[in-house]
Amino acid sequence: MASLFKDLAKISAYRDRRFPGTQEEFEEALLKSTTVYVGNMSFYTTEEQVYELFSRAGEIKKIVMGLDKNTKTPCGFSFIMYYSRDDAEDTVKYISGTILDDRPIRVDFDWGFQEGRQWGRGRSVIRRGGYGKLVQKELEAQRQLVDYGTGSLGSYPPVMPPPQYGRHSGNHGHGGSYRHGRGDYHRKRHREDDHRSDYPKRSYVRESRRASDHESRPEKNPRFRESGDSDEEDDDDRKRRT
Amino acid sequence: MSSWRNLLLRLGEKCPEYAGNADFKDQIEACFSVVRREIEHSGDDVYPFLIQCAEQLPHKIPLYGTLIGLLNLENEEFVRKLVENAQINLQDALETGQCNKIRILMRFLTVLMCSKVIQPSALVVVFESLLSSAATTVDEEKGIPSWQARADFYITCILSCLPWGGAELVEQVPEEIERVMVGVEAYLSIRRRVSDAGVSVFEDIEETNNAVNEKDFLEDLWSRVQDLSNREWKLDSVPRPHLSFEAQLVSGKSHDLSPVSCPAQPGPPGVLSGIAFGRQKHEAELKYPQRIRRLNIFPSNKIEDLQPIDRFVVEEYLLDVLFFLNGCRKECAAYMVGLPVPFRYEYLMAETIFSQLLLLPQPPFRPTYYTLVIIDLCKALPGAFPAVIAGAVRALFDKIADLDMECRTRLILWFSHHLSNFQFIWPWQEWAYVLDLPKWAPQRVFVQEVLEREVRLSYWDKIKQSVENAPALEELLPPKGLPQFKYSAEDGTDPTERALSLELKDMVKGRKTAREMISWVEENVFPAHGFDITLGVVVQTLLDIGSKSFTHLITVLERYGQVIAKMCTDDDQQVKLITEVSSYWQNNAQMTAIAIDRMMSYRLISNLAIVRWVFSSLNVDRFHISDSPWEILRNAVSKTYNRISDLRKEISSLERSVVLAEGAASRARQELESAESKLSIIDGEPVLGENPVRIKRLKSYAEKAKEEEVSVRESLEAKEALLARAVDEIEALFLSLYKSFLTALAEPLHDASRDGTLRPSGHADDMTIDLEDSSVMELDKDDETPKKSHPNGSRERNGYNLDEKQQWCLTTLGYLKAFTRQYASEIWQHIEKLDAEVLTEDIHPLVRKAIYCGLRRPLDE
Repeated sequence: MASLFKDLAKISAYRDRRFPGTQEEFEEALLKSTTVYVGNMSFYTTEEQVYELFSRAGEIKKIVMGLDKNTKTPCGFSFIMYYSRDDAEDTVKYISGTILDDRPIRVDFDWGFQEGRQWGRGRSVIRRGGYGKLVQKELEAQRQLVDYGTGSLGSYPPVMPPPQYGRHSGNHGHGGSYRHGRGDYHRKRHREDDHRSDYPKRSYVRESRRASDHESRPEKNPRFRESGDSDEEDDDDRKRRT
Repeated sequence: MSSWRNLLLRLGEKCPEYAGNADFKDQIEACFSVVRREIEHSGDDVYPFLIQCAEQLPHKIPLYGTLIGLLNLENEEFVRKLVENAQINLQDALETGQCNKIRILMRFLTVLMCSKVIQPSALVVVFESLLSSAATTVDEEKGIPSWQARADFYITCILSCLPWGGAELVEQVPEEIERVMVGVEAYLSIRRRVSDAGVSVFEDIEETNNAVNEKDFLEDLWSRVQDLSNREWKLDSVPRPHLSFEAQLVSGKSHDLSPVSCPAQPGPPGVLSGIAFGRQKHEAELKYPQRIRRLNIFPSNKIEDLQPIDRFVVEEYLLDVLFFLNGCRKECAAYMVGLPVPFRYEYLMAETIFSQLLLLPQPPFRPTYYTLVIIDLCKALPGAFPAVIAGAVRALFDKIADLDMECRTRLILWFSHHLSNFQFIWPWQEWAYVLDLPKWAPQRVFVQEVLEREVRLSYWDKIKQSVENAPALEELLPPKGLPQFKYSAEDGTDPTERALSLELKDMVKGRKTAREMISWVEENVFPAHGFDITLGVVVQTLLDIGSKSFTHLITVLERYGQVIAKMCTDDDQQVKLITEVSSYWQNNAQMTAIAIDRMMSYRLISNLAIVRWVFSSLNVDRFHISDSPWEILRNAVSKTYNRISDLRKEISSLERSVVLAEGAASRARQELESAESKLSIIDGEPVLGENPVRIKRLKSYAEKAKEEEVSVRESLEAKEALLARAVDEIEALFLSLYKSFLTALAEPLHDASRDGTLRPSGHADDMTIDLEDSSVMELDKDDETPKKSHPNGSRERNGYNLDEKQQWCLTTLGYLKAFTRQYASEIWQHIEKLDAEVLTEDIHPLVRKAIYCGLRRPLDE
């Protein structure tokens, strides 16, 4: 479907330098993977929020929150593993670019989580590619759009927009790279979790947010930083892709 | 992308490719002049791309058709190839049952006829093939009436072409098209009317009356087409660019089409009885599903005033864009708002999207897709669409008591997700009045569940803040979600148990193994304290250690799940385990669901234990006031179903591997044999067999291939054994589920229903309202809180007048129907067992109806 608008060969514009293999192997891994990478998250977003949103695209197997190397606190990215490839694809198609916890998140295929990749570098680096600005703009644009009117249907003011009907809004943001039906490649899926986890366990250092943070969250949400300093997504190792 | 491609792709759009000129005629000419030159160099690239454009952007087909008509004047050979290819695609789509492709390609051929590329009579022959296949299918002697869904689909395809070419056909081949119309009419008279029972979004209150009079989807389309014909085939929604080029196009040479053939009947002819008929009908309806069921949620003064056929055409456009541009956010939104029609259609667009989001049994795509589309359209049409969406929400909210339970769940998930994308802004004060309604009133439950989902997507304080304009609604917010650890407080808990819990915590901190913990439990705790206390200590303590996050929970279950597994081996014990989980997470519905779900994943809990727990009295009593038990039940059934469908996929892929491996093995063997039988000369002597080195190599190949074949076969057999077990498992699950429903419903139904109905025709004052005193008490308490006055007095007309038992029955029957419908394919496979054990003669008629509706099985069979 819709192959007219997607460059089928290109599943990712990036290449993760940590990937141990060739470009072809990297792309192959992305095409088979049931893991997605989520970026531009709020530092305050909990695993349960992630679970609620992402389970709407399919049964989740595991969530790995990206943690700041030094503070051991979430730093704006995560990996989500599904049981099925279809579910991972739907996530990239339908959840990327939507809002979680006031922030537009991005979702891409990931070649597969490995121990160590959850550590962000714990320092801000200069943004590459300007994705942050783009999402800031999108969020800003959204803020201005909410207008539900009041009262019942009958009391609507004339709701018609300016006559220009077919215009593009231009702020759809990130569409998500993805690939269309490519025949019947292997879809890894083990729902029966009787066997041990695929990944080495990581020590858990983060303290409960549920109890502490939520209650202490101030009225005005300070978590959303104004444009220009939301660099946490760059802390992720994936950003070292060339 | 080279520019001819861009020109084709963007034809009909106001875009830089055409220097912002949106005039169709100019665009077609500009595109034509580039493409005609391109054909000379790379014609073989051009026509597949053109067909692709037409197939995937079907709302632009008239433009492509006209362009092809012009190309036909220049290069007949090119167009002949194009037509031939389109026809091959159509034939292929017919054989493989690709509904959208069949429909679109027929529209394409129709439009090509308008541009003089195809002979009108050739198109009529295509129509007649489909018509004759349809008529045969529903014939009771020669056909298979259970496959009416396919026949109906073919007729839909024919009728759907007429808005694009009806005028031309009537003008050029009046007698032939009249013959087709007569044929369609005859078909309509012999087919069975399709009932929406079981798949309509709203429970039809007086369904018995309406079902007789209301047209089904095909009769509806027929009447729209007749209306079109009465208007001399004039309509606004289909552009007719070929008219601007008529003078040139007439001189084109029309191509013929070789006949298409519809696939053979999927089985021996004849009318099947009962179960076999129902099964086939179900299968056919899965393959040829009804594309849309109109919602009609907006009042007629709101929705755009369109001719019946224009409404149909715009729906077609919208559904096509949704289908073909799934995954392309930007283009999808742009085409949705930029259809080539000279009128507005925001309301129709909203209604169409909601009809898909709520389509039963399944929408074509996951509901989150429609969430995304709605978000994008709100951004693309900021002045108009958000208000239309809000209107749709209000309209659906007004009718929520009649909404199908599955649809209600989808609506809750969608709405909470939607609001989370728009800062949770909603005029909640409009709905504050639900606090005056009883706890079980569907509107109140809806608000409460939306708030629950909002909190899950965000956090409690934020959502509390978002209902600021109706502070009383805070009452409907879920609790703050903290765990209830039995052994946390110094006071109130048994000190011995507390000490045991602390000891257990230390074991975890000391990284003791599961084995060590098991022996501690078996030697030190269980003998002295008995099962219940031991279970409480172990489960509560482990859950507390895993309470910080989803990952903590998984980690602790992976490490110490064995301890729990060892203790809870049968369903009774597992039910107690679930009770302990739900007590620990009593303030957090999400964590309760997640914990139970993960425990089922690790096989600590069986699906049967979950069913038993869900149908324990504590949960049964809240079936009508909370989605929480249903969520847990849904998870358990869907996980079981996922396991079985994964196995089926693996098996079908293994079956393919077996065939491949067999081929490889036999090839290797043949090669070896032929090498062995060859004579070769060694040391001047003729010897049987080739070069020994080669023979040896071939031998090892053959052996390896054989081994491979055996091993694939073995894994196939292993998977098949697993599948057989899973099939038994799911059968047991459904039987247990149905029996639980039956038991739970028996008494309340007996009390609440009169004359086989639950909805009150008049007043139901004399019905018993004695049960659940607690909720009545709390209701009284509600009365003390100051009430918001209704912003709109007319809301009163929703006057909700069901008593608790009636609502409980309606909700529970609604879920019974929803579960049945969602897993109908699975359930049909076990229907004999179900008939014998569940659908017995003494079953309450409303229960039978719910199950039959869910299966779309005729009640009068």
